[in-house]
Amino acid sequence: MVNPVLLIAVPLGLAFAIPLFALFWKDAAKYISPVALGFNLVVSLLLLPKVLENPIIVSIGGWQPPFCINLVAGPVGVLFSTIIALVGLLVSIYALDYIKEGATEKYHMLYLLLLTGATGVVLTGDIFNLFVFFEILCISSYALVAYLRDKAGIESAVKYLIQGAVGSSLLLIGIGLLYGQFGTLNMADIAEKIASASPISLFVPMVLLITGLGVEAAIFPLNAWLPDAHSSAPSSISAILSGIAIEVGLYAVARVVFTIFGAQSFLLFLALLGILTLLVGEMCAFSQNNIKRMLAYSSIGQIGLILFALAIATSYGVTGGLFQLVNHTLSKALLFLAVGYMIYRTGSKEISSLEGMGKKMPLTCLAFTIGAFSLVGLPPFIGFPSKFLIVRAALATKETYFCVLIGLALFGTVIEGAYFFRVVQVLYFKGEKSNPGRKEAPVAALIPMFTLVALILVVGIYPKLVTDVLDSAASELLNRLDYIRSVLG
Amino acid sequence: MSFLNNYAYYIGAFGLIFIGLYIILVKHNLIKVIVGLGILDTGVNLFLISVGYITKGTAPIFSRPGIYSERMVDPVPQALVLTAIVIGVAVLALALSLAIRLYQHYGTLNLRKIREQKW
Repeated sequence: MVNPVLLIAVPLGLAFAIPLFALFWKDAAKYISPVALGFNLVVSLLLLPKVLENPIIVSIGGWQPPFCINLVAGPVGVLFSTIIALVGLLVSIYALDYIKEGATEKYHMLYLLLLTGATGVVLTGDIFNLFVFFEILCISSYALVAYLRDKAGIESAVKYLIQGAVGSSLLLIGIGLLYGQFGTLNMADIAEKIASASPISLFVPMVLLITGLGVEAAIFPLNAWLPDAHSSAPSSISAILSGIAIEVGLYAVARVVFTIFGAQSFLLFLALLGILTLLVGEMCAFSQNNIKRMLAYSSIGQIGLILFALAIATSYGVTGGLFQLVNHTLSKALLFLAVGYMIYRTGSKEISSLEGMGKKMPLTCLAFTIGAFSLVGLPPFIGFPSKFLIVRAALATKETYFCVLIGLALFGTVIEGAYFFRVVQVLYFKGEKSNPGRKEAPVAALIPMFTLVALILVVGIYPKLVTDVLDSAASELLNRLDYIRSVLG
Repeated sequence: MSFLNNYAYYIGAFGLIFIGLYIILVKHNLIKVIVGLGILDTGVNLFLISVGYITKGTAPIFSRPGIYSERMVDPVPQALVLTAIVIGVAVLALALSLAIRLYQHYGTLNLRKIREQKW
């Protein structure tokens, strides 16, 4: 049997080996990340069928939980690590050709560290370890946002760093308060003991934890850094930040709310926050002229929708939320990758400068169009079943509150459709009719893009491929007693 | 005065945390904001230490004779703080190097004058 520890240990070790390899052979740096992430993808896929039956608990150091640091490879953890490894692998293939300037070996090292941190967050069963892996993720993303060293990148990285550092400090205070009350850092152990604590003494740590994690998850009103950071980073990094980093933050929020605190009364508030995030994100995206900024705001909107779906807290709702999360990861990564080469060819981020790209870069534009349609939720792409599940879950609760909110969410989707269709129109139907020379993106960029397109189509036509995994992931998040029992025995 | 005696560390820790937050929110100079981040980090670390501290406690080493477990301080928060200090150093170092770059681009560290990115 494969040990889930390898999912963290191998990329971490290889990340720090990159500068050593680069001493002897400069190009070695860029081939190590695909190797490490390919390994992670294989291990995750091998683990996936096993953890659907029984979650694998790894105790480090030979002690039993709650006295050791443990990893919990349940359906949620392995589902997320599969997604992280898959998208990370595709984006690292894209980066082979895309990242040419600057200290490339540092880029690849930080990139691998970022994904190691993300994998660690989703697999760990210890709340302080969650903080440490979160910091690995955050620090490497601050540095990567500033990778191009241009004006915009540095300014956004400074903004991101200040807000992120304050968020992490709040998170750490929350962890300290929990430790002071319960004398343990194991998430399952805290969850077990929390029933005996008074609600008032739990309120402050919960608010601190959710605020701290909410900065990284970009929940309104903690998301001021996101549009700057995602639009000024190199496009391959934007794809990872939008596709993975904020989803991991959202996972941590869900884990804290569902598993640790089991806070049923807090969910209505989270649903409201989700819809607010959705509407703010979509409305800001509608008014943008810069295409990467538009995509960044659209990420805020999608995060809001996922948060809303998770906060419905029925089996359908959480499944729909996780499905939408998979959709957003695949589609938004595809959109950023496609936009990366369009910007590279035109040299401008303005939407109006993309006129006539449909003839110059037909394959890239096709990929962009499919990503956009999938994000809006058109059949037969993956966005349709996920949004359909969310609407169905909200209506199935039969509560006026959720029905009103899902109406607002659908209104947000209409706005989303409007600005994505506008870009697609600019790509294909604007500009001069003459046929300019074709200059397609290189093969190393087209392979990951069309792998994503294939995944979006296949899962969209045949959603049964993923729904089993999503169902058991949803039940892991909702049944905290099962989680506690499986960890503590 | 017994209240002050019992909770002196907590008062100090949260005092530092609020001073740090105040500096980050109010000051315009990036270096001062980074100093604020440092103070905030210190406050959080002091808070974590005081969670496990016992007045006049000793190190938890069982092999020494004449020491009882009631008198030992909790070692876990100290291990946490060691990790948190390292993370804080990394963040501050990165922030300072970004500040150098920012100064090279804009010729100022005043955050109110650096407003290229807008909603």
